[in-house]
Amino acid sequence: MSANSWLATGNFFTKYKQEQRTFLTSLDRSFFTFFLVLLFGWPLLFELSNKYMLVVDNILIAIVAVMGLNLVTGFAGLISIGHAAFVGIGAYTIASFCRTMGDSHIIITHFWPVLIVVSGLVGAVFGAIVGLPALRLKHLYLAIATLSFQMIFEWTIQFMTFFNQGQTIYVGRVFWFTGKVGRKDHYLFWYFVILTIVILLGFGIRNLLKTRYGRSLVAVRDNDRAADAMGMNPGLTKVYAFALAGFFAGIAGALHAYVYRGVGFESFTLHESIGYLAMAIVGGLGTLNGSFWGPVALKFLDLQVETLAETVGQYMPSGMNLATALKPFTFGLVIVLFLIFEPRGIANWWRITKSYTKLWPFRY
Amino acid sequence: MSYFFQIVVSGIVVGSIYALAALGLVLVYKSSRVANFAHGQIIAAGAFITYYLTVSIGVPVFFSFLASMIITFFLAMSVEKIFLRRLIGEPIISVIMVTIGLGSILDGLIYLTPFGSENFSFPVFLPQQPLSLGGVSISWTQLVGVIITFILIGGLSWFFKKSTIGISMRAVSDDQFASMSVGISVPRVFGLAWALAGLSAAAAGCIIGNITGLNFDTLHAFGIVVFPVIILGGLDSILGAVVAGIIIGLIQQFSSGYLDGNWGLSGTGEVMPYIILVVVLFFKPHGLFGIHEIERV
Amino acid sequence: MKSKSFLTALLILVVMFAFTASVNAGGKVYKLGMSLAITGPTSDAGNPYAKGTEDYFKFVNETKILGDDTIDCTIRDDQYKTDVTKRNFEEYLDDGIVMYLNYSTGSTLGLKRDFEEEEIAVLSASYHAGNLDDSNYIFLPIASYSDQLVNLAEYVAKNHKGGKAKVALFVHPSAFGRGPVSDVEKAVAAGLNIELVEVVEHGKDLDNTAMLKRLMSKNVQYVISQTIQSPVATMIKDSQRLGLTASSFGEAGKLTFMGAHYTGGNDLIALAGNATENYFWITAFNITSVPGEGTTKQLALAKLFGRDQKAADSHNYAAGIMVAQVATEAIRRAKAAGLEVNKANLYKMLNGMNGANAYSPYTTTGPVTYSKTDRMGVDMLQIYSVQNGVFRAVGEPVESEYMKKIK
Repeated sequence: MSANSWLATGNFFTKYKQEQRTFLTSLDRSFFTFFLVLLFGWPLLFELSNKYMLVVDNILIAIVAVMGLNLVTGFAGLISIGHAAFVGIGAYTIASFCRTMGDSHIIITHFWPVLIVVSGLVGAVFGAIVGLPALRLKHLYLAIATLSFQMIFEWTIQFMTFFNQGQTIYVGRVFWFTGKVGRKDHYLFWYFVILTIVILLGFGIRNLLKTRYGRSLVAVRDNDRAADAMGMNPGLTKVYAFALAGFFAGIAGALHAYVYRGVGFESFTLHESIGYLAMAIVGGLGTLNGSFWGPVALKFLDLQVETLAETVGQYMPSGMNLATALKPFTFGLVIVLFLIFEPRGIANWWRITKSYTKLWPFRY
Repeated sequence: MSYFFQIVVSGIVVGSIYALAALGLVLVYKSSRVANFAHGQIIAAGAFITYYLTVSIGVPVFFSFLASMIITFFLAMSVEKIFLRRLIGEPIISVIMVTIGLGSILDGLIYLTPFGSENFSFPVFLPQQPLSLGGVSISWTQLVGVIITFILIGGLSWFFKKSTIGISMRAVSDDQFASMSVGISVPRVFGLAWALAGLSAAAAGCIIGNITGLNFDTLHAFGIVVFPVIILGGLDSILGAVVAGIIIGLIQQFSSGYLDGNWGLSGTGEVMPYIILVVVLFFKPHGLFGIHEIERV
Repeated sequence: MKSKSFLTALLILVVMFAFTASVNAGGKVYKLGMSLAITGPTSDAGNPYAKGTEDYFKFVNETKILGDDTIDCTIRDDQYKTDVTKRNFEEYLDDGIVMYLNYSTGSTLGLKRDFEEEEIAVLSASYHAGNLDDSNYIFLPIASYSDQLVNLAEYVAKNHKGGKAKVALFVHPSAFGRGPVSDVEKAVAAGLNIELVEVVEHGKDLDNTAMLKRLMSKNVQYVISQTIQSPVATMIKDSQRLGLTASSFGEAGKLTFMGAHYTGGNDLIALAGNATENYFWITAFNITSVPGEGTTKQLALAKLFGRDQKAADSHNYAAGIMVAQVATEAIRRAKAAGLEVNKANLYKMLNGMNGANAYSPYTTTGPVTYSKTDRMGVDMLQIYSVQNGVFRAVGEPVESEYMKKIK
């Protein structure tokens, strides 16, 4: 360890343990703490309109879901085209509680943190079940197996009266120590909740990747036979990767149910699954910070395109078609451009920026 | 009993149309190991081009059918050249996502035209009277569809077996490096595979469009509907696509014919193919006819 | 080099996005919001619907129906996703809208509680009866799907010759399709003289032969559909080639096809061609193939804003105009009564649209009547049937009897 704990002037590690620390210098830690304070503090300083608060909440929920997807697809290399269905499992866990106990039962309104964790666990169980084909299937065959799960999920929800045939199942307003969270504070309240969850889960993944369980995911992705030879169990690892992804998705789903105060099947379709995949890719597969960049980038792009479409629409009175065509067009274009020019996603820009600033102003 | 046979016949008819729609996916996968999620959009584009040529320009149906196959042939070829060629050697997830992005771009382009959100139907050009045989009936549209399917599949099989280009395509699908070393242009083979896929997609689009009417939602959904078919058949087998197409067609018809309306079930035709697919994959992870690749560390 | 060109492309995109415009208007501006599916599922209906609303509000502003005041209605595409609808709705609320126009069944149900809390009147393009349960602020422009189906069933019961009519329902595999089924069953239980033989849910079928033959073997004579156009098109085309389609209502040994609002219209004819002949369709809108004063105005409006013939003739275009008309009328009445135009007063105005105050827009077959207990607009439904390739009116607009009985 260098004498200066604030600036790393070189590599002074003498133990592996040192290399594994989350923050290499005190500067890093201070920056991060400051950033967290900023994240928690800004809503108290600026008041954001409900729409943008909802957008921010939505982005954070997507981040939770994409973190899970990144584990299974990015780190473990198993393509999942059914991630929205896992998110749906989480949401419908909450919904089933609401159906059986009434949507304003004390368990739902007061013990919501417990229910969110329960939803995550249910998601994990389903993840493990859906992951079972991964024991035998690979690559595209596996991808299509997850696609099948997506289809079976949609059909089941729309068929069963217990799930209200896919129509909205309402979820009551929750309580906090200050009393019922009303309409005005709803999105702000959930911003803090989801932010806390994102940070906890983020640290969770960061630490997981330092353990043998995290490394086994990467090993299985790179070559599962080699991993097998090294004494890992690739089959079990794959199932466990799916279970982890299911856990994250389940939590995202439960949060979705609470924030939108209702669960309807439209939010968990194949289209959404593809959206999550796109976020993971634009953010950067196989990186933790990519899971943050992707949702932020794509959700804001969506909003920007909407504004642009409206501007364009004003200049051509009956040109509605041009304006609406822009949305799918830009969505597709962004994905394709990223894959062609920056396949490692925004996370790679972050990496470049970081390595640049690390040595600034003294470059090699 | 005629009910049973009717279901069998309908299943085979529907199945062969699935096979035709799936053919393009198999061709692309066979040569370049790419699963094309934009296939549905190309199917729709083929149908719309045929409609446009026939109705707005007044070309006879038969010629506009051929013309749309030629147009999608070049469309798909250029798509491969512009987008996919840059991704040779990238991981499978990137390639899948590029085709998804491509599908989205095509969506946007189609929404620019009236076809994106309006409904049309082909002018009637076949006899309306169905063919009937012992209580089992089949329409001319379906019959022509089945015939075109088998002509195309037969033609392609011959092409792969006998022609030099076909054989070089098979060589590429077997081993890219080895085929490069004997002087085969791998990128050209990829382009040709895409082009052939585009051609078959246009044919599928016209036939489906004739049966369901031209609605963008309905048409491009077929790009996803046929995935169970190619997986069940094994991704790289043309014969597999035909057999699996017919199996899936039969499963659908039988489940909607016998399951729906009983035990409170309904709409099972939508979901049964996927359930059967998952079950089959447990026992045959490479589908019915897929090549079992040997992996090495 | 590669990354440079990529950055340039991104820069251009950013510059494009930064480019925004603002609108200025004189007089008071009343803000409205609309969220619907212009692309994505059901866009074939949503697209002309949006055009209708947009055109009518423009017309209101240009012809000064509200004096110097203008209506500023933001129309947004939600691609049939409830999440996006909610986002749009929250934004409209931030903008201070006085009334909200919604589209899909899913989002209307999903946002029901928000409508209640915000106490804002909502006109929905979904005529799902369930929208009205536990709700005070959702207004259906016309009678619900349940009304439509029961009304068709009543027509069958009345006009069928000989014995009990055997009817099958052909429905969309979702709550949208299944919703009215139970109401039809209730009507039958309440004494409606038909026999409900089977409820069929369709998939993405390419062939309905087996289903049609099964219905024939059960002696079904009438198929009533509650779905969207394209599955109906496939079914009636199959029926036509099998020679099963009745050439006139209730022809013995043949099938007569009928359907609710979203199964019919010119889109169905566009999809199924001459197989639509003798298809019975129920709705509450005037259609351009039955010329009248209302349709003349509708066509003139479409011409004024340069819409193509297809949009002008669409009943969804009429439906879009209709909600805009109702919204405008509510604002006009609030102004006439000297009230401030806000959420509460518009809600009051809508609830007051009954009796002598009922409002008759030119797009519908009957007056719009709302009250505290009845938030279903046009109760009089018109049955149309296809004769020689166009929809023609069948009889006069009627109101369902059995719906009242089973309520």
